[in-house]
Amino acid sequence: METIVTRPVVSCCRQAVLSAPTSSRLVLSSSTAVPSGIRQKSTAARTRKALNIPPHGSFLNPNSSAADRNARPTTGQIIYNPPSSAASVFHTPFKFLPKQDPRRRANLASELFAASTTINYPSPTNNPTQATQPDSTSPSSQSPTDLFPSIEGEPRYRARHHLTKADIEEMRRLRAADPVANSVQNLSLRFRCSKLFVLMCCQAPSGHREKVQAELEATKARWGPRRAAARDERRARMGMLFRGEL
Amino acid sequence: MKRLRIDRWTGQLLLARSGPSPASTPRAAALRSAAVPRCTAVRSQSTIAVPQIPKEDDDHHYDGTDHTRFPPLEQLPPRATSLPSPPPERALQSAKLAALHARLSLPERLPLQTLARTLVDASADENPQFSNTNLAFVGQSLINYHVAEWIMCRYPRLPMSIMYAAMKGYAGPTSLHQVARSWGVEHAAVPGGEVDPGLLQFSMHKPGDAVIGFGYRRAEADGLKKHKWRHGMSSRVVFDDDFGEVVDTEDAKDELRLRADAEYGNEYTRSLAEKAYATCARAVTGAIYAHAGRERAKAFVEAHVLSRTLDLSKLFVFKKPTRELSLLCAREDFEPPVARLLSETGRLSRTPVYVVGIFSGKDKLGEAAGSSLEYARTGAAMNALKSWYLYSPGEGVRVPSDMLAEDAAPWEPAYIDMGEIIGH
Amino acid sequence: MTVRALQQISTGRNGVGTFILQCKKMDFHYCDWAGSSKGMNGFIKSLLPKFAASNAQVEFAVSPRPSKHPVIIAQYINGREKSICVRNMEPYEILKKAEILRDGSGEKNRRTAKPVQSINESVRGVWSPYHGNGLKV
Repeated sequence: METIVTRPVVSCCRQAVLSAPTSSRLVLSSSTAVPSGIRQKSTAARTRKALNIPPHGSFLNPNSSAADRNARPTTGQIIYNPPSSAASVFHTPFKFLPKQDPRRRANLASELFAASTTINYPSPTNNPTQATQPDSTSPSSQSPTDLFPSIEGEPRYRARHHLTKADIEEMRRLRAADPVANSVQNLSLRFRCSKLFVLMCCQAPSGHREKVQAELEATKARWGPRRAAARDERRARMGMLFRGEL
Repeated sequence: MKRLRIDRWTGQLLLARSGPSPASTPRAAALRSAAVPRCTAVRSQSTIAVPQIPKEDDDHHYDGTDHTRFPPLEQLPPRATSLPSPPPERALQSAKLAALHARLSLPERLPLQTLARTLVDASADENPQFSNTNLAFVGQSLINYHVAEWIMCRYPRLPMSIMYAAMKGYAGPTSLHQVARSWGVEHAAVPGGEVDPGLLQFSMHKPGDAVIGFGYRRAEADGLKKHKWRHGMSSRVVFDDDFGEVVDTEDAKDELRLRADAEYGNEYTRSLAEKAYATCARAVTGAIYAHAGRERAKAFVEAHVLSRTLDLSKLFVFKKPTRELSLLCAREDFEPPVARLLSETGRLSRTPVYVVGIFSGKDKLGEAAGSSLEYARTGAAMNALKSWYLYSPGEGVRVPSDMLAEDAAPWEPAYIDMGEIIGH
Repeated sequence: MTVRALQQISTGRNGVGTFILQCKKMDFHYCDWAGSSKGMNGFIKSLLPKFAASNAQVEFAVSPRPSKHPVIIAQYINGREKSICVRNMEPYEILKKAEILRDGSGEKNRRTAKPVQSINESVRGVWSPYHGNGLKV
């Protein structure tokens, strides 16, 4: 969770928009290629006709022939059409289900292949025609590891437990001797441990703490009203976020 | 409406019906009850004024009213005005009470006298044989038991603080006050023996000393209130009441109590009214249990308390959600959580939107949209934690009290979680 | 212990779990003398006993209101009241009016455009442009 990895974002809506001019049945009046004499949808009949688009692919029968492509699925078929909305917190992710939960046992086979529990995000390699097909029918078409870029470098969360008691004593001695040069950051880099671990091991001399505190107070005293208010508002917004109001 | 001189009117309609119909006019009912003492619970459908000339033996209860000019609305038993609450035999004459009985679809076995007793708060009548304290104690235990077992079986991973908040959201005094209000219960301005038994009776000036809940008074209760001492969840489980709140000693309300006599309504009187209504709702549940048994009481709690809507996902407040999620994944042997940007728009604009998902391995645990990467990541971690805590085995999960039925299927163990995530 | 709780109160919906009739009291006012009360007097004599017996949830009160038109006043659980003047009406017309008052919720009359009003969250959630696989048009 320490890193935010950016990946090429291909949102589905953008796909739809990009593919629209080639295969659209809607007439875009803003397009430059449209001749000036084209008729607008000035009557209800034309609007109704234009809005009469076929249903989503998942509502159609995928096994039917090309002749009756608009055939409805039979009653025994499951329509897979995930909502285009953020997942509700009441839908427990697969990983959070307990071992004996029947949902976990029922979904275990499909979860081995599926990329995600809630929504299958389109990947850059997906072409637009594939996006309309129900994804549950072909979960193994793409490995989930292809979707995510790997995280650079060694993961920081792995505890190595490489420091000995002597190392910790040395860390404490350095911190007590020169707290300015041996800051928490420097010590964590030097001993290759987290800053939290440094803070757990050693405490700065009381004089140094007071000095740092005084410096901070002096800095805050220099702030004008706008900067102080901005920081207050930022803190209030964070509180709102934690209360679920944002 | 102008006061009517009904005795001056012909009253042809008042005298018209003398048959045994339940809707017979009160004059006829009064005549009949004067002839034969009514022992059945035939409801009187009307609250109309009946002209009643005070008799000679009522003279020593003279209260300064000219009874020839202002006849009493109802024939009161002797010394009724000196009683703190209406005598039980008047319950059979109250149209309000009979209507409330029918409105709540209460069982036939629950008599009107008991229903009238549930409407008398301990602040109106201090005698526990006439107030609803005992019934409310039973009802409070039943309601809290059924709500607690339902929440624990339905959402087995809730942290204890959320559990308490949910308990209070369903069965707390504010919620039960709304329940009793939704039944159409009205309260009398001042309690007394002469008021209609169908009205809720409590005093605005004294709280009453009825104890209808569990919980101990802490030795350090004053320090908790004054200095806001920290008190952990374990001690709240042991010492405090069913909602994890410190048992109050009413000391801080002295000033408000003084104001209650001077002002029409303030915070104190509102809390007294809320408490009285909630006690009434609990007492009705206790009365159903006493007269109709366990199954009816449980059905009543399910119909009136558990059927209410409460969004549990809005109860959570987090402090360090990302760290807590890391601890959760470490505890449960999941891969460490990684935040990944799923989509974004308007990064350089005034209103950017980022959608960040949190993944553990290839599984997405939660996601959220936010106006900055930090907000989106924090929100996604909060959603992941909520979806952990709000795991539910299903809507129709069985609760232990289902086993008390005669033909219950064998019990399957409910899911029990190992506990909430302990953060730093 | 990093999770704290906000306090919220559950909301009830009449009809979910149990239904409670919202009309709690009905007053029937009549006049012995006036001609406009003729139907009301007949209603009180002939139809009201049966109506009251079949609606035990409602408290009924009959009282004279001399030199005035007859009126039915209904009081509701939400604290409001509605009244209908039934002058010169036949008894069965008055029964219809009484049934209207009994079945009312006490709220002000307003036009409802949607067949269902709900406080429940939508099953498919609030639409978001950042989710889903889109629809090719």
